[in-house]
Parts: sequence; structure tokens; C-alpha cells
Amino acid sequence: MRSPWSALGLAGFAAVVFLWSTPILWMMLASVRPESFGSLDMASLVPDTVPTGDQFRYAFLDGDWAVWFTNSFILVTGTLVVQLVTISLAGYAFARLEFPGKDVIFYVFLLQLMLAPPVLIVPNLTTLVSLGLYDTLVGVMAPYWGSAFGTFLMRQTFRAIPRDFEEAALIDGASWGQILWLVLLPLARPGLIAFGIVSVVFHWNEYLWPLMVLSDPGNMVLTVGLVSFALGAEGASDWGLIAAGTLLVVAPLAIAFIAFQRQFVNSFMSTGIK
Amino acid sequence: MTYIARIATAAAVVALATAAPEGASAQERIEFMFPAPVQGKLSREMQRIVREYNAAQDEVEVVGVFTGSYDDTKIKSQAAAEAGKPPAVVLMSANFAAELAMNDLIVPIADIAPEGTDLDAFLGEFWPAVRPNALFNGELYSVPFQNSTPILYYNKEHFAEAGIEAAPETWSEWIEAAKALAKPDGERWGLMMPSNYDYNGWLVQSLAMASGGSFYNTAYAGEIFYDHASTKAGLKFWRDMVHEHGAMPEGVTDGKAVSTAFFAGQASMIVLSTGALSFVRENATFDYDVAFIPRNVRNSVPIGGASLVSFKGTSDAQKEAAWKFISHLVSPEVIGGWSRFTGYFAPRQTAYELPEMKEFVANNPDALRAVEQLEFAGPWIATFNTVAVRKAVEDEMQALLSDPELTVDEAAARAQKNANEILAPYVAETAYKF
Amino acid sequence: MTIGEVDSTQSTARPVGATPALRLRLRAPRLQSLRPYLLLLPALLFLMLFTYWPMLQVAVASTFQRRAVGGEGDFVGLGNYGRLLADEDFLGALLNTALFTAGTVVPSVVLGFLFAVALRRSGALSGLFRAALFFPTLMPLVAASALFIFIFLPGLGLLDYYLAKLGVRSINWLGDPDLALWSIMMLTVWKNAGYYMLFFLAGLQALPEDAEEAAMIEGASWWQRQRLVVIPMLGPTFAFVTVIALLTAVIQIDHVIVMTQGGPNNATNLLLFYIYQQAHEFYDLGKATAATVVTLGFLLALSVLSLRTMERRVHYES
Repeated sequence: MRSPWSALGLAGFAAVVFLWSTPILWMMLASVRPESFGSLDMASLVPDTVPTGDQFRYAFLDGDWAVWFTNSFILVTGTLVVQLVTISLAGYAFARLEFPGKDVIFYVFLLQLMLAPPVLIVPNLTTLVSLGLYDTLVGVMAPYWGSAFGTFLMRQTFRAIPRDFEEAALIDGASWGQILWLVLLPLARPGLIAFGIVSVVFHWNEYLWPLMVLSDPGNMVLTVGLVSFALGAEGASDWGLIAAGTLLVVAPLAIAFIAFQRQFVNSFMSTGIK
Repeated sequence: MTYIARIATAAAVVALATAAPEGASAQERIEFMFPAPVQGKLSREMQRIVREYNAAQDEVEVVGVFTGSYDDTKIKSQAAAEAGKPPAVVLMSANFAAELAMNDLIVPIADIAPEGTDLDAFLGEFWPAVRPNALFNGELYSVPFQNSTPILYYNKEHFAEAGIEAAPETWSEWIEAAKALAKPDGERWGLMMPSNYDYNGWLVQSLAMASGGSFYNTAYAGEIFYDHASTKAGLKFWRDMVHEHGAMPEGVTDGKAVSTAFFAGQASMIVLSTGALSFVRENATFDYDVAFIPRNVRNSVPIGGASLVSFKGTSDAQKEAAWKFISHLVSPEVIGGWSRFTGYFAPRQTAYELPEMKEFVANNPDALRAVEQLEFAGPWIATFNTVAVRKAVEDEMQALLSDPELTVDEAAARAQKNANEILAPYVAETAYKF
Repeated sequence: MTIGEVDSTQSTARPVGATPALRLRLRAPRLQSLRPYLLLLPALLFLMLFTYWPMLQVAVASTFQRRAVGGEGDFVGLGNYGRLLADEDFLGALLNTALFTAGTVVPSVVLGFLFAVALRRSGALSGLFRAALFFPTLMPLVAASALFIFIFLPGLGLLDYYLAKLGVRSINWLGDPDLALWSIMMLTVWKNAGYYMLFFLAGLQALPEDAEEAAMIEGASWWQRQRLVVIPMLGPTFAFVTVIALLTAVIQIDHVIVMTQGGPNNATNLLLFYIYQQAHEFYDLGKATAATVVTLGFLLALSVLSLRTMERRVHYES
């Protein structure tokens, strides 16, 4: 196969990628630059000073990283696992079954699609308190467990799978549960992965809702933790510390992405769903 | 279906596990919510103070809860209270106490202090300047913990270079100095002041007070003086710095940009909170000093900072615990230590009688300057719906900083009109209700 | 196989063939008809608790005006809606949101697509480029916003520092009312284009190459190939990404809270921030809830519309 671009195009694109990466390159530099509060050349992308590990040292001193990472990890996986169950079941019902009220219920589902939790902070906190879930990670996850977007996506995914597979399984005497689990879900993998990425990225990065629900320092998640030591009020900003802290938050996901990106992208392609 | 069952069980287990520890011990467990004050290491210091307190006694267990910015803190504590989990102690922006009291969200300190506590004598130990914001309708609703005033930071090296001998004391000196210090094309600014929301209103108030105004009616929550001569003088001073004298950048400048520009030597004078004193002291790589905010008609500044409040709806035992913890936090030793660590001044006068405090002030004349300015300090804007009323003038100030065509009279008139609309329901229910 | 064939041609037909269905029906007729509802139950349960119930509360609250937080309030009917529509800030927020949505969704989706086309083939270099472009997605929005406060810092920040080397005077990116919203849009596009690239990459992997090669043999230019072959075949991906981008544009406010609080002079006041401020800072629950209901109305229309489009695209595909 011939090269997809000319040398000139490659250079141009490399320049775009470089420009795109400058904030991150600067962040990496700033995290090891000694003067982190303000100097004339602090924006320079040229390494001009002896690197210091101070910012990372402070970040480790100030942050409860093990707790934050564990909680963020639990939050993201707990949210996703339950979502995958609820959206697969509901998506299957909408894609493959006929029942009275189907259209109405479908639109009722869609209502949730664009609902931002900050709008419903107080009523949702009240519900969490009455369920005994205030200040728990489950409380942060629960409002997301019914996902309209995920349901819609799974419905689309299932509908795009030819029915022949199920027909065959049915004739072999498989129950609907077996069909869903053994036939449809494996074929729906691209849809599940796409939703998984959306969900993980969203919840890993979410700040306001966990800040509202969680109080105990032992329940704190990464975003709230990062803000707690890196962002100050009253006009002060320690840019180096923000940089170091942000890098620590991003690192695990970034490493995972770099290591698995090819498998990641290819995993979508197994069936014709995009 | 077993899959769902498994998830449900797991969820239930997690829920139970996290819910169980509450109320199991004899210790009274209370939540203490606090925002990020100036920078991250203060959050750590605050957690250290909480841990030390927990270790030193066994009646109260305090859970220190970090709650983001001042605004986030307000939202989180209110949302928690409305949802039925009122926090026992919250460190809240000092001018919010009146509004929280008006909305019946917090309890008077008399409700949590043991019967017979002489609260007048207690408040008498605090600087006169911080007392009005602690009261609502004559009753004590909050206990000042970390307070500040705006103060002028200046780069002494730049002053020497421009041949300016002393810090400006009057507005005309201030303008002259700013003009002399500024270099063209934004290479160096003579003066920078944060004009983002919150900081903005505080500094407009400071300029209005320096012009002899009182900015808002301290005795009645339904009046604000935006179209008065004193406020207009403040608006004009600030906009002229940009459009007439070219000594300040156009548009809105965030507090973070102000401190960064000062450290980088790109701004010769800045106005920031005294709460940033330690931050500046530790990070300025040049010779700097602080001075009073120059006077137009008089020396006068508003106080700022944060006070401790207790939300409504806690149990009697929690109230008792809240008072114990608050008393500990504002004890001269703790409040003085916090002041030295952060740069905020200690609102409790008696803290300055401690030997370690005397020594500190002697070694750090800038800290002394901040305390001396207190003599000229007055209360911080606190009206019905404070944030919305404050925003009415902030929007106009921001417009003035960006738009050279907009006149001060127009801006002040619109700010007044918008603020009056926000205050109208309160006025209808109070002053006009006869 | 006749039964199966009949079934598979009609997407609305019952999935079960006659024989197995008969067997099931004999065994448990009640369960059979309840099954769809049972399948929907888990999702519906959470939606009811955390969406419909609070929304009902919001709708009811929008007809009351409370004087104090926690107070009962007086019934005012549609009064709050009247006050809302008379509020310049609300109308401004509507306009800002429309601009922000259009100005972030279009460029980030287009860039995401172009990045994906450029990085379509796997290789060491494209792996590195993909990672570099995807990195911003992994950064929490609060952190990215703090970082971009620095980037936008007048005079000293990354942008101005290098623009100065090109002779451009210092620009107050976040402090100029004419620029602030665009600056926040810049951050949003930067943060999301790589995210959308990922979905386009996946879509491209699944495209059969013969159609494109045929077009190439016939002498179609690069742009013609994209326009006539690749883009139509990626219809479903475009629809999916657009929905995600719309969602992202509307439900995120961390950047506004961290960077501008809606300023200067309301220039970056977005709907969600308006609601947040009315509810939590101004104690005007009447206005906040009315604004929520209005916003939800818009969003619902928008989402139904975009999902319908997405559905049509998918049908067209399959």
C-alpha cells in the first residue's frame, strides 16, 4: 500500500498535531520548572531550567492519591457495569419486542438524555439522603444507572444485527436470555465499547456532582481531590502544582490509551456498526 | 438475571458498608465544610488542624470536608441542608451570613453555645471592623475566622527605577505613580486589580468607601448606593486607569492573572486581599512592600474573608459539638497560628497579645500594615440577595473596563436600576409594608 | 426456514417463531406479555428515581415563587415564565448557548473527522499522533480550564507569549467581552476533537476499501473521494458523534465556573450556568425552575430531532 500522504502533507499535519499538543507540552515543562507562580518567560516551551521534582513532591504531600484513584476507579467501573446491564436489557426490549405503550415509553426514556445533573442537584440529593446513599460512591453513580443515551445506542446496535442468528438459536431451543447473552451481546460489542468510552470519559472527568454528594475524605474522587490542592481562591495560582497534579490524574488513562490504542480502535470494527 | 442480582447485592453491600460507621460510637461526629482559601497547602494545614483537634479530645469527631471554591461551598452546604444533611460547621464567605440567616438556613450562635455564654463579651474580643458582618438583626449568626481587606502590593524595585520614593497615599498620587510606572504596549502595567466577579464588587466597594461612601445601607438590607457620587467616583477611577491613563490592561482581569503578572514583574502595583500576604511573601523574587489603599476622601476599606456558621436542623448533641469545635478554631492560639500560616489577619484581637504573634508581626512589617489598616475598615456588602445585587454593579464595571464609550453615569444608573429590581421584593415586604 | 424468513423481513414483527412461541406461551403466558416491561424495569427504576421524580418537582416548583429557601412559596402560575422571558440575561444566555453549541459542535466534529482520515492507517507515527490528539479528552474539564486560564493569560500566557514573537500585541482572551466566549469555545474544541476522532477512526476501520479504491482508479480527487464515498458511508458515525457533541456542549459548565463565572458582563453566561446561578446564588428558585423547564423543552426537541436523524442514517446503512 502506498503512503497515504505526501511528505508535505505529513509535515503540515505534524505541525497541526504539534500545535494541538503545545498546552500539554507546556504542562509537562511547567510541572518541573522551579518558578511556578509567575515569571516573564514562564510560557516558554523551551526547557530552560534545571528540572525540579518539587511540584510532584508537593502534589504527593498534599494529595491522598491512592484513595482518590481507588474511588475514581470504583466510580467509573461501578457506573459502567450497571449501565451495561440496564441498557442492554432495555435496548433489547426496544429493538426486538413489541408491547403496548412502546413508543410512549421510548420517548419517556429520551427525556433523560440531555438532563444535566447540576440542574437537579437539590431534588437528587434529597432522594439520595432518603435512600441512605448520601456521601457514598453508590450515590454518585445511581443517577446515571438508567442511561437514555445508552439504551438508544444499544437499541440501534441490536437492530442492526441480522435476525437470522436469533432465529437459528430459537429453533435450537435457546431462551431469550441465552439469545441475549450468547448471541446478541457478543455481536453488539462495538456498541458496548463505544458506550463504555463515553461513560468512562464522562465520569472520570466529572467534578460538580461528586463534589455535591461526597463529603468524607475517604470517599473523595480524583477531580475533587485535584481541585482541593491545586486551585486556590483569592487570586493565587500555583501553575506548576496544577500542572503536576493534572498530569498525575491523566497519566493512568493516557498510558492505557497509548498501550492499547490499536486494539481499542480495532475492537470497534468486528461488525459493521459504527 | 443472576447478573443483575449480583450487581444489586454488590450495591447493597457497598451502601451498607459505607453507612454503618455512623452513630456507632459515643463520639459526636460532625461535618466541617471548608473551601480552598488561597492555595492548596492551606487545605492540608486545615486538615492537620482538624486531625490535631480530633486527637486531642474524645467527645467530638470532626470530619473535615473540602468543598471547592467559596461559591461551591455555599452551594454544597445549602444543598446538603435542603436535602436533610445540614453541616454542623461551615466556613463561609463573611458577607453571606446575613443572607443565610434571612433565608432561615443557619442558627444564631446563641442556639449552639451553652446557656449563659456571654456572647457580647465573646464578640467584644473581635476587631470592631469584623463585627457588623457577623450580626443579623442584632443577633450573632457567625464567628469570624479568617479575615482580610484589600491592600496595595507594590514592587519596590520598579518604584526606585521610576524615581518614586514612597507608596501613594492619595488618589492623585496613585494615578501619577501608575502613569509613571507603566510602560507602553503592555510591557509593564502601572496598576492591576482583579475584576472578575466577587473580587470586582469588593474592590468597587473599597474605592467607593475611599471616596467617603458607605456603598450599601448597613442597617437595612434593601438599599444600595450605586448611583451615588462616591460609588461613581470609584467606577470612574477604575475605568480611567484603563482608558485615560493607559496604566491598566483593558477588559476583565482575573485575580490569578494579577498575582502572576506581579510575580513576573509585569505589574508594578496590584491590589489583592491581605489573605494573599503569605503567598506573596513566599514567592516574590524581588523587593516588595504593602501599603494602605490610597484615599480619595478618606482611608477606608471593606473587610473580606470567611466566618464560621452552623446550619439549621442539626441535633442538640451536634450543636454542642459544633460550638466546641468553633471555640477551638477561634481560640487565640489556633486562630493566630492560622493567621501566621495564611496571611489572613486574625479577627480575634486577643490573638495579637500572644508572644508568638507579637514576634511574628515584629518580623513581618507587611503583616502589621494589614492589621493597622483595620482601624479604617468597615463591613462588606451584605444585602437581600447579596450576590445578585453585587453582580449588578460588577456587570457595569466590567462593561466600563472594556468599552471606552460607555459613560460612568450610564453604567451607574443601570447598575442602580437592576439592583433596585432585585431588592424590590424585600422592600415590598419590609419598608413598604404599612 | 419459512417462518424465520417471514420474521426477518419485518422489523416490527415478533422475534419469536411460531413453534417456540407456542411452547413459551403454553408455559407462561403472563410472563411472556410482561417480559418487555421487566426488561425495561431496571433502567426505568433509576430514571424514575433520578429523572422523572425530580423533573416533576421542578415542573411544580416552576409555578411557585418562594421568598426564602425552604419556604413554601405562593402559587404564581406561569408568572415565573413571564419574568424569565423578560430577563435580558436569560435571553442572552439562550443566544450564547446557541452560539457556543454551533461554534463547538461543528468545528470539533469536522476536525475529529479530518484527524481520523489523516490517521487512518496504523503505524508508529500515527499511534503517537493519535495519542497526542486524544490526550486532552482524558483531562478533567476543571483541570483543563485551570490550564487554559494560564494559556489565555494576557501577555504572559502561552498564547500571547508566542503571538508576541509574531508581533501580535497582548490580547485579553478571557477578559474581553467580544472574545471570551470564543476563547472558551477554543478550549472546548481542543478538548473534544480528539475524542470524536476516536469514533471516526472506528468508523473508518469498518469501511470496505473497494469503493474508495474504485473511486481512486476513476481519478477522483481526495476531496471527491471523501465527499462522495467516505462521508456518506460514515453517516451513522457522524450522527452518533454529533449527538455526543451536542450533549457535551450543553451539559458541561465546569469551564464557565472555573474560568469566567459567566463574565465579562455576561458574555459567557450559558443556559446551564444561568440556571445554576439563579438557583444557588440568587435564591430565585422560581426563575431557575422555569428556566430548567424551558431548557428541557428545547433540549428534548433537539435530541428527538438528532436521534431521529441518527436513526434514519442507520436504517439507510443497514
